[in-house]
Amino acid sequence: MTLADVEEGDELPIEELYLSKDAVRAYAAASGIAFARFTDDEGARREGLPGMIAPGNMSMGLLAGRLERWAGVGSLARLGVTFRGIVLPDQTLRLCAAVTQKDEGSGSVEVDVWMESEQGDRLVIGTASVKIA
Amino acid sequence: MILDLHLHSERSDDSRAPVEQYLKILQRKRDERPLDGIVLTEHRQFDLHRDFRDLEDRYGLLILNAAEVETNYGHILVYGVNEAMLARFDFGDVRLPAQEVVSEVARLGGIALPCHPGRPNVGLLAHYETKPPLDGVVAVEAKNGGSKRGEDERVQDLIERFGYRAFGGSDAHLVSFVGICATEFDAEIRCMDDLVRELRGGSYRPADFRR
Amino acid sequence: MARIDPALLERVFDTTEFGPITASEMVSFARSLGEQAACYVEPGPDLRAHPTFCVKFRGRKGFPEDFPAALLGPMSFDAGKDVALGEPIRPGDTVRVASSVHDVYEKTGRSGGMTFVVVRFTMTNQRGEHVATIDNRLMYRT
Repeated sequence: MTLADVEEGDELPIEELYLSKDAVRAYAAASGIAFARFTDDEGARREGLPGMIAPGNMSMGLLAGRLERWAGVGSLARLGVTFRGIVLPDQTLRLCAAVTQKDEGSGSVEVDVWMESEQGDRLVIGTASVKIA
Repeated sequence: MILDLHLHSERSDDSRAPVEQYLKILQRKRDERPLDGIVLTEHRQFDLHRDFRDLEDRYGLLILNAAEVETNYGHILVYGVNEAMLARFDFGDVRLPAQEVVSEVARLGGIALPCHPGRPNVGLLAHYETKPPLDGVVAVEAKNGGSKRGEDERVQDLIERFGYRAFGGSDAHLVSFVGICATEFDAEIRCMDDLVRELRGGSYRPADFRR
Repeated sequence: MARIDPALLERVFDTTEFGPITASEMVSFARSLGEQAACYVEPGPDLRAHPTFCVKFRGRKGFPEDFPAALLGPMSFDAGKDVALGEPIRPGDTVRVASSVHDVYEKTGRSGGMTFVVVRFTMTNQRGEHVATIDNRLMYRT
């Protein structure tokens, strides 16, 4: 893909992924944050949560991966996200993105990114700067 | 005339949306979201000197400037902000007295309208459970593009109970969501004075362009 | 809100080093995100860390010692972060994290009244190259 292939307003195909509890536990372990809220439903409830939740960083990582599958490894220059809602495992999440700005000079694009729950709530929103080859 | 009455640019702490990119998206998505303009409602601030005439000329869209303030009854959109209002209220205060905001803004020539009234903690509905209703509320945001499931639905009850008018706004913090909810006016609006006049007593209704 | 001494802002209050980073921990991290790209999951000369691998590194101290305790509730929530990326992390690298308080502000939202403290991590590797700058927005309920 080159910059000429990208237009402002282009929407990337939505990627759906099933987020399992095991995947959340694996991420928590790999990140050194295997706390109760990320590994155990009962432990999470003792902290006032509805059950175990996915770390915000994991949502960020999933969105980063979505962008790199589109633009290539090493293309991500910046990613900023706001966590708007708890991400519970055992659901199918939707990873969404749309190109908002194209800069021919730097060869990069600005992209809106967001993660939706099964019910369509936007749980994570953000923007990214992506270098296009 | 259709306007998005509630959205945030990169001036708001949780938005990265440049104003011009909002306009480009509206141009591109004209078939899906046939808007005639936007009203920026930055969080907890207002800049009297913001000038969008160049962008308006280039894109043929109306761009007005308002504010979203935080009060003891939740968030309120303030249209028609002027020097007198900025002197009267610290827009950065997250605990403004809502009744005073509604009354004084009206007295000083503007209009203050509660937004996302169905939202927990920062919506009017939650506060009406424990506090007396506000005097002088003309309309509430019945369609908010950032609402979670059920939040907008709860507002219908509020509207019927108190006879509030209804309007819509995207509450966009990302460029992609500009105009997904908006307000359709029967009259033409060319400036903030027109908008305030129409919100007070004109004919309008929320518009929902979500797919 | 308790007043913040401007001198507290942008002042490095902690420096912590991590590493040498192993190929194994890089691969585990990437696999946990479902990554399949060879450069993230196959040990070898091309192996590099996932772009968000850097968020696992945090300063040892959360705040400066003279930070107003009144601003910090019993539990913080991760409200979001902004990551600006530099050189990729590779096996054998060390990562140095310099922490500073970048901003403090109040707002209200679905969770009620909140104080946000933005802690900035500036990360460099053993060659002094910029690896990442991460602005972490921590939310405390008021």
